[in-house]
Amino acid sequence: MKVSVKPMDGSIVVCIEGSVDGLTADELLAKLDEQVDAGKVRLVADLSGLEYTSSAGLRALLGTVKRARNKGGDLRLAAVQQPVFKVLDLAGFTGILKIFDDVPSAVASFK
Amino acid sequence: MAEATRIRRPARLESLPLFAQFVMDACAAHGADPETTYALRLAVEELGTNTIKYGYSGMDAGDIALDFAAHPDRFVLTLTDWGKPFDPRAAPQPNVTLSAEQRPIGGLGVYLVMSMMDEVSYRSDAERGNALTLVKLRDGQRSAEKRNT
Repeated sequence: MKVSVKPMDGSIVVCIEGSVDGLTADELLAKLDEQVDAGKVRLVADLSGLEYTSSAGLRALLGTVKRARNKGGDLRLAAVQQPVFKVLDLAGFTGILKIFDDVPSAVASFK
Repeated sequence: MAEATRIRRPARLESLPLFAQFVMDACAAHGADPETTYALRLAVEELGTNTIKYGYSGMDAGDIALDFAAHPDRFVLTLTDWGKPFDPRAAPQPNVTLSAEQRPIGGLGVYLVMSMMDEVSYRSDAERGNALTLVKLRDGQRSAEKRNT
């Protein structure tokens, strides 16, 4: 798993690549927590390079959505690939998270 | 004739990447589609984690064995352990329709695996251990079964 963070137009884009599993999800959650703790709660997860997530990754996403919304922000998803989308859908996350086709659309949705 | 392959390792978190690689290699070698590969990889991570954390809790950790078999119409993955019995088919179902605010964190792993399989069976006995058998039908077979139901 590789996680990189960059600001874009008033939002923070968190690019998550590779595989998120039980061994790497804590690192992802730490990176997301860091942003929320710093008051940066307009978050966009760029999932264009995410090939695999287990329930450990879903826990990190849900925890961050809850924290960001509590602080008046949100975590929105962009460019979700089909296998990951299926897991999000089975888990009911497609109904509770805002999902966009690409990063610019997700960033623009905060305006 | 099925082609079968096996791995057996200690029930420790460090073994999970080996199990994942075993399943991905076996799927690649036998032409499994990406959905099948994802589902079986998810199964060994989620169920392996459960066995390591709960199945062997309070006792000496034993092993987990994976048996992968490629049949003309299906892939069969059996996970065997010698810890406490746990039939994942009887695990409580999460409510996946709750809002983000109401959703508890966790409890999704077993549910996801069960949702992605075509068939699941389980048996537990003192001598042979606990064996969970997961079946994914090959692509063509899935659509054929759907036409017949």
